[in-house]
Amino acid sequence: MFTKFEHFAATSLMGNPTEAPPRKDGHLHFDRDWEKMAFGVAIALSKQGYYEWEDFRQTLMATIKEWETTHDLNDPNWDYYQCWLTALETLLIKSGVIAAGELETQLAQLLHCKPSEL
Amino acid sequence: MPSNYPGFKYGTDREAVSAAKVKALESLLIEKGIITGDTVNNILGYFETEMGPFNGAKLVARAWADPDFKARLLADCNAACEELDFPQGMSGAEGEHMRIVENTPEVHNIIVCTLCSCYPWPTLGLPPYWFKDPTFRARVVREPRKVLSEFGVELDDSVEVRVWDSSAQIRWWVLPMRPEGTDGMSEAELAALLTPEAMMGVATVEV
Repeated sequence: MFTKFEHFAATSLMGNPTEAPPRKDGHLHFDRDWEKMAFGVAIALSKQGYYEWEDFRQTLMATIKEWETTHDLNDPNWDYYQCWLTALETLLIKSGVIAAGELETQLAQLLHCKPSEL
Repeated sequence: MPSNYPGFKYGTDREAVSAAKVKALESLLIEKGIITGDTVNNILGYFETEMGPFNGAKLVARAWADPDFKARLLADCNAACEELDFPQGMSGAEGEHMRIVENTPEVHNIIVCTLCSCYPWPTLGLPPYWFKDPTFRARVVREPRKVLSEFGVELDDSVEVRVWDSSAQIRWWVLPMRPEGTDGMSEAELAALLTPEAMMGVATVEV
């Protein structure tokens, strides 16, 4: 049966309430633009074969579990896409897409270059 | 407004760092030639245009406008889906064996789901959180009128409520009643009135 990878990836997250992404009115719900980007990058790289989608799911679930064991269940700082981003970073390094420290270097450049460009 | 709540500062700092980090990640992946500027937009475009309740809304609007189509939709939902120009795979995979039941002045239908994967995604989009909650399902079966009233649907005592339990074999969804005052509307205007909740039977369609 033909199924789009995007469809497969999203529906595979729906079985488990903690793993499933926020949604509203039948659509995925993003509060901030960076969430969309993090969501899209995770799916795009798996679609291109940089890692298995199942590995992303497992990393995401492990990240969420880690949060749950170190925070109160009612902690208002809970944020699904923060966990998503952490999982994505972890997996990108583990699968060799980026090297450890590479993202921090890029981030530092971005943060420090920006004011001088303005 | 300044806040003394200690989590607030943490929250906003973390917010700025996350936004910058994703930006950095995007530029890093573009530099490496792994993605282009369009890659992520194409992925998100799929979710924005193909994976949502639009297909169900189009089917219902067509059924309201065309009684013959409605009869075909009620008789064989998947075959009727193929009459509309839907993306490939729409009537397959999770949409397999869909059945639609019609709300009338005499009968109100509502869908529930016992397993985790029996929601009719291709027509209704992604399921709301509460749909898979075992308490929701148990209460709908036990006291459907009370649950419907909590959703804002007040039914006359003469209306029969039917509960349809979706399974891997058959994924049910609901053809809501066409609201009054919509006679001159186009199919597109009618489709815009529909919500996933209305097509699950926990809401009525309002103009």
